[in-house]
Amino acid sequence: MYGWVGQVLRINLSKETVKKEALDPVEARNYIGARGLGIRLWMKEVDLKVDPLSDKNNLIFITGPLTGTLATNAGRYNVVCKAPLTGAMAASNSGGYWGPELKYAGYDAVIFEGKAKKPVYIWINDDEVEIRSAEHLWGKTVYDTTDVLKDETDEDAKVSCIGPGGENLVKFACIINDYTRAAGRSGVGAVMGAKNLKAVVVKGSGGVKVANPQEFMEAVTKARQMVKDHPVTGQGLGLYGTNILVNILDQSGGLPVRNFQDSGTFPNADATGGESLTAKYLVRPKGCKGCSISCGRINRVAAGQFATFGEGPEYEAAWGYGADCGIDNLEPILKASNLCNELGIDAITMPTTIACAMELFEKGYITKKQTGCDLSFGNEEAIVDLTYKTAYRQGFGNELAEGSFRLASKYGHPELSMSVKKQEMPAYDPRALQGMGLNYATNNRGGCHVRGYMTAPEILGIPEKLDNLVTEGKAEWTKIFQDLTGAVDSAGICLFLTFAIGAPEVAEQLKAATGVDYTVEEVMKAGERIWNLERMFNMKNGFTRADDTLPPRVLKEPIKYGPCKGSVSKLDVMLPEYYKVRGWSKDGVPTKEKLAELSIQL
Amino acid sequence: MKVKFFAIFRELTGTKETGDFAAETLEELLQALGQHYGKKFTDWVWADGGLSDDVIILINGRAIEHLDGVKTRLQPADEIAIFPKMAGG
Repeated sequence: MYGWVGQVLRINLSKETVKKEALDPVEARNYIGARGLGIRLWMKEVDLKVDPLSDKNNLIFITGPLTGTLATNAGRYNVVCKAPLTGAMAASNSGGYWGPELKYAGYDAVIFEGKAKKPVYIWINDDEVEIRSAEHLWGKTVYDTTDVLKDETDEDAKVSCIGPGGENLVKFACIINDYTRAAGRSGVGAVMGAKNLKAVVVKGSGGVKVANPQEFMEAVTKARQMVKDHPVTGQGLGLYGTNILVNILDQSGGLPVRNFQDSGTFPNADATGGESLTAKYLVRPKGCKGCSISCGRINRVAAGQFATFGEGPEYEAAWGYGADCGIDNLEPILKASNLCNELGIDAITMPTTIACAMELFEKGYITKKQTGCDLSFGNEEAIVDLTYKTAYRQGFGNELAEGSFRLASKYGHPELSMSVKKQEMPAYDPRALQGMGLNYATNNRGGCHVRGYMTAPEILGIPEKLDNLVTEGKAEWTKIFQDLTGAVDSAGICLFLTFAIGAPEVAEQLKAATGVDYTVEEVMKAGERIWNLERMFNMKNGFTRADDTLPPRVLKEPIKYGPCKGSVSKLDVMLPEYYKVRGWSKDGVPTKEKLAELSIQL
Repeated sequence: MKVKFFAIFRELTGTKETGDFAAETLEELLQALGQHYGKKFTDWVWADGGLSDDVIILINGRAIEHLDGVKTRLQPADEIAIFPKMAGG
């Protein structure tokens, strides 16, 4: 095979066996790789109703056909399993260098089955694969684990691992590779921890063969030039990082504030934005394998109680610990978000769960008796302290470790969880961005911004400017963004490319790399196929139309301040149209005809 | 009126905001800003005889695409926010 290596590693942790298997070329073609193919492979082998933290929940690390090639920003891989946070399918996407290295070692994917009796790590060195004891690593942070494993194996090896968050089964623990790049959402790290799997270390000496090298390089050169020439990918993201969005969301009235209570205005939002980060705390930008954008931020707070050094934060983490917790000081935000990487927990669900707890505290539903501290909005020490305690499940952190929905439900107020399908919404208020609200409500993994980034047209004018406050046309646009993202995630390239390139450039690179005759239509169809497969997983796990909703606050409570004052989400208007555009029943179920059209065989 | 600058526009102007300009329309305001802040500012804002695709402008939080574009009439109490094309997430 070309693009794909053609080989999958299957490791049964219970039986301590390692097998090498051929990749099914038909499935690969239909589901491309990474997110799509991973979900397909998982669904073929696992009881869909499996307990996410049981040994029967397979955990798949999987690359795409472009991963590790010279294609634009092709450093991505996905981790696929059933998600402990949501009960939906998890496919968490990470960059860095680990994914390409797996392909250089000769594998498209590693499928983990079962559960190790004691903590282990996997050492993949080309053809040689070892299951090694990780008892000496259990309890160590991501940074320390990575350092030790590089010493034990090879200094050029790439490490993907869990921290204390995953070990302690925090429901939103992530898996982190190359020190700071996270397969972040839905709790894939907890699944890894439940398997007693501390890390997967890989070193490869091979490469990735492409079908038509000349055609491939022409496609790559064209796409790279487009990325270089675009003001966002060629300049803005590298200069300021993703946190540049704080100010434009604030100015547009779409920045959620204090657990979405006071959206529309956040005094001094600017102090938490990308401009301030760049001026005061940026050490240098950083990119992933083959990246020309370098949106990553190496940050440092040199002194004081929040002294820290690490990578990030992305806009969502800066907003979560910032405006959503009522904090306008970057230093505790940086400290807390760096801790998320070090301890291996999701830097979106963690702060938004704290914000939920702050509202519970503000309203008197919980007190110092539960929290152990004054958990008022704006408490800078608390966001750092509770992040640490959550990873170790200490004190009130043990309750936060369940995520905001379970926390708020425990105290009788699930409506205060700003989540969809139990996963917290990121940093865009659905009352101010109608299309983003539709995307949140229909997203197969719950509150998720990346798989249907309607902020691009609604706020940023990419590829064209849509009115953020109207509902007309949003169903069609949301479907297009969701489907394209499905294909991009599955190809193994970075979603940020799509600010500059579109389906034609993705198709050209895929076609030349794999030799498969991918067209624009095929790529979009594959994305739609992936979306529908995920939807069917959810349907078979008991999700219904009733789950395609948003928190009552954003449906009923108008925004109080700013340019979107008075607005609520008009989801009820958009949802029926979305189902229609998707070719689903009025209850949101993919029809037999739609499944047949997409060649989905369950 | 208050004009707010973000990202690269802060570097081009050396300030976060200014209240030193007044104009009847957005177009007049942008021309006045260009005369004051120089060619780099002008080159960012204008292209091919019209507003550049690489700039985002809000008036009181509304994107000018949903108003009257550069012809939008301004009031003394208006806040105008100027950004380069940006994205993230």
